[in-house]
Amino acid sequence: MSVSKHTGELLEKLPQRLVNFFARYPPQTHSAAVRRPAPAKGEDYVPTKVESPYTPDREAKGAPGEKKHGWTPSRALLVTSEKVRNPFLPHKRFGKWEAPKYGLRQQADLMKLAIKYNVGALLPPSRKSPEFKETRRAERGLQVKGTGVGHKVKGHKWERTMESRLEDRRKAMEGMPEMVRLWKQRGHGRGWRQWPKR
Amino acid sequence: MAKKAKSRTIAVRLISMAMTGYYRTMIRPRVHRPLSMMKYDPVVKKQVLFLEATKGGKNK
Repeated sequence: MSVSKHTGELLEKLPQRLVNFFARYPPQTHSAAVRRPAPAKGEDYVPTKVESPYTPDREAKGAPGEKKHGWTPSRALLVTSEKVRNPFLPHKRFGKWEAPKYGLRQQADLMKLAIKYNVGALLPPSRKSPEFKETRRAERGLQVKGTGVGHKVKGHKWERTMESRLEDRRKAMEGMPEMVRLWKQRGHGRGWRQWPKR
Repeated sequence: MAKKAKSRTIAVRLISMAMTGYYRTMIRPRVHRPLSMMKYDPVVKKQVLFLEATKGGKNK
């Protein structure tokens, strides 16, 4: 069996930590490539709600305008079938959320290690996978407030009123020569009527 | 009690007519007519008309 021989060679090269992980969660059943969610109700099926153990407040930190439990391409990457539990994701059991078997730090360690040995695709779907990070970056951009399409920031008052003030000033300066002419004509202020209010 | 005597001079504010918010404060005799003069406004960097402003906007 050439395949098993090849796999055996690969396993020998891998660090023990990855070998242990793949022994417990074999890529045949757990890898991201295998567990990519197949659209159940036709190609355009988009789940409107993705359950998440995180409180709304925590999710609300995300990009402005993003739905708290809405479907996004990056979240779709994490959706896996219910039959085989993903050790990298929280899991709802008996109505309660269970923590992932591997925390984010351990996931990151495993992911870095796996990428180093070219077996990153064999790990289960994870928040630490490069494709998840890329997709989410594409969705959220740089997350600088006000830079997105249609986003606004309040700004300082002098910034908000700048345009109208400059317009007033421009108009006043346009009428200045005429005003000065009138002022000189009327005896340098002797016959002046429109004094400004303080 | 007798009222306190008013001072002979008052401080007045001359506002730039360039609508920059810049003003100069001057002192003039109370009975003098309102002040108005050409002065330099550093915001528009030009000599513009400055007119005296009073609280009610009423000058004689």
